[in-house]
Amino acid sequence: MTTLADPTRYFHRPIVAALGVVSVILTAYVVWLTLRDVSLLRAGQDAFVGADNYLRLWNDPRAISALVRTALFTVLATGIEVALGLAIVLFLDRDFALRRLVRALLLVPIIMTPVVVGLTWRFIFDPATGMANYALSVLGIGPVDWLGSTEVAIFSVLIADVWQWTPFVVLLVMAGLESAPTDPLDAARVDGAREWQVTWYILLPMLRRVLAVVALIRAIDSIKAFDLFYIMTRGGPALSTETLNYYGYVAAFTNFDISYALTIALVLTVFTNVALLTMYGVLFPKSGER
Amino acid sequence: MISRRNLLAATAAVGILAAFPGSSVAQDKPFDGVQLSVLMEGHPTTDAISKMLPAFTEATGIDVQLEVVPEQDITAKTLLEFSSKSGRYDVVQNNIIYVPGFVASNYIVPLDDTLAKYAQYFDKADFVPGYFNTNVVDGKTYGLPVYGESTFLMYRKDLFQEYGLSEPKSFEDIEAAAKTVSEKTNKEIAGITMRGQQGIQGVYVWAAYLWGFGGSFLDESGKSALATPEGIAALEAFTKVLREYGPVGVANFGWEENRLLFQQGKAAMTLDATVNGAFNEDPAVSTVAGKVGYVPVPMKSASPKGGSSSLAVHSLYVSADSQNQEAAAVFAAWATAKEQQVKSLETDPNSGVTSLTALNGEAFGKRYGAFKDAMLAAINQGNPQYLPTIDKANEVINNTGIAVSKALAGASSAADALKEADTANNAALAR
Repeated sequence: MTTLADPTRYFHRPIVAALGVVSVILTAYVVWLTLRDVSLLRAGQDAFVGADNYLRLWNDPRAISALVRTALFTVLATGIEVALGLAIVLFLDRDFALRRLVRALLLVPIIMTPVVVGLTWRFIFDPATGMANYALSVLGIGPVDWLGSTEVAIFSVLIADVWQWTPFVVLLVMAGLESAPTDPLDAARVDGAREWQVTWYILLPMLRRVLAVVALIRAIDSIKAFDLFYIMTRGGPALSTETLNYYGYVAAFTNFDISYALTIALVLTVFTNVALLTMYGVLFPKSGER
Repeated sequence: MISRRNLLAATAAVGILAAFPGSSVAQDKPFDGVQLSVLMEGHPTTDAISKMLPAFTEATGIDVQLEVVPEQDITAKTLLEFSSKSGRYDVVQNNIIYVPGFVASNYIVPLDDTLAKYAQYFDKADFVPGYFNTNVVDGKTYGLPVYGESTFLMYRKDLFQEYGLSEPKSFEDIEAAAKTVSEKTNKEIAGITMRGQQGIQGVYVWAAYLWGFGGSFLDESGKSALATPEGIAALEAFTKVLREYGPVGVANFGWEENRLLFQQGKAAMTLDATVNGAFNEDPAVSTVAGKVGYVPVPMKSASPKGGSSSLAVHSLYVSADSQNQEAAAVFAAWATAKEQQVKSLETDPNSGVTSLTALNGEAFGKRYGAFKDAMLAAINQGNPQYLPTIDKANEVINNTGIAVSKALAGASSAADALKEADTANNAALAR
């Protein structure tokens, strides 16, 4: 079939071209800015500095540890949310009283704005008046310094993130489950398979693609996570919750160092793309079924 | 919509008319029809000014579009507009620490000529001199102070009496008193609470220790000099009282958490902004009203490089890209004039007034008598260099905040943390 036979190209090609041109121009402009030393405090006095910003990033221990922290947070958040979300879906799939109500309530965290989520969790984690420490004190456990301890703070943010985004995983996996055929499951049960065998050998393989998509979306969001960190800890204490994305914000809007902030953002984008393309390749092998 | 050219012509015409008194009716409303865009911080003074705007429009004919954003966002927003030369805002409010950067980049203009011309709105002698002078660069006045504050030490008189403690006058007194209260109450009541959050929050309060111990942010050559014996001792003393006698979670305390803890009676002392006095003494939000004593921040060093009381002043500035610079300056003068400041005390909890008439008036004394004298003393010895006033101030404060946070969290020693901050600061200053 020749391309002439496909008239829809007159519709989609201009759109693809326009999107492509915009991305290329913006990316090129960002790259150009990272090769200069633009600062909001010295408008119009910026000069070409070559690869200085990239060398500075390479030699900046604060940036490197922020990158490691971002990776840690992304892996933990994505892993916990997908595992927990899947477990909840398998549980909700059973029939029980108030099932519809529970499903509706699960969606509440997704609808809340991250700022409200951050503030709510900050109050919950308040060491003196928060609910978390009150609950622990009922159990006879001493106060935990949720946001003021360098070892605990990032996990406190993680808890808030998991609380907010696990329902999103639940929502998508549930949709996947509902559109999956039930015949193979029934056939297996008739053949005498136990319930865990049905789940493990038949249900999970059927959900593989939807789980992969959910994991990708959550990983991308976790890498870009900003709002919870900004509201709950501002990167502290002692930099223990500073992600690379947050460091980029500090460089741009606290230090007004626009070029360095863009360098951080660009490097983060490149890393993210490489990591996610690898992940995509693993999850959707070319030889697999399409 | 008035075009820019017409507007310029109108402004020029108004200027000429104003130069010939009695020549025209237009003199009563010299800026009739002029529109100003003003950016201010969310703060009681802003609320008060916004309530009085109709009277300003009535008197001058200037229509003011007021935009209010949180204090921590205002500098980035301002700089984005300034650096793109958009002229989006005619008047902006900001902290004095950015003035050197603004002036060096020609973002803001001197106001002296306009202030001399419209003397009915401007009385230099009525401003607290310590506040006013922070905006004077090379003899030119670049801004007018809207509100100001300093820092002082607040302590619970009732607890101090109960445990036989006397008014804390030195950093050693603070530590001893914190220890006593913390031990006697079995840590039920924290000996002292201060802001420990990484960034400006922690630095704003720790700087009191830094200057009090005889240290400073920068040395004579303008290089970062935090890791001096004085600076290290200051950070060690600060982290010691907070780690041993402070409340749980202090390492993430900002202004709000710290203020609330003290207001709820859960701490015996706090070192913070003078505006906290207004919250302590308000029985509607405080359980410690009437029980708090206010004393200046101690000085340890006999030969300090600067005072240990802060001087934070937030002023109005006129953008160099404004099409209505004269009208903008008139607005800044009117908004900070004594008549408006006195009136603001009636409508809003505004303990930060910059007018001497308002400060010494009856309304102020009635509301804030409990801490007025301590506050005035703190302002008068307020250190205009309390936070570094250089164009890289933000970055220096950010790096210093990391050092304070690291020492407070026990992630590294005071000396190591400060050395690291010096290195980062000097790299930033060299850029």
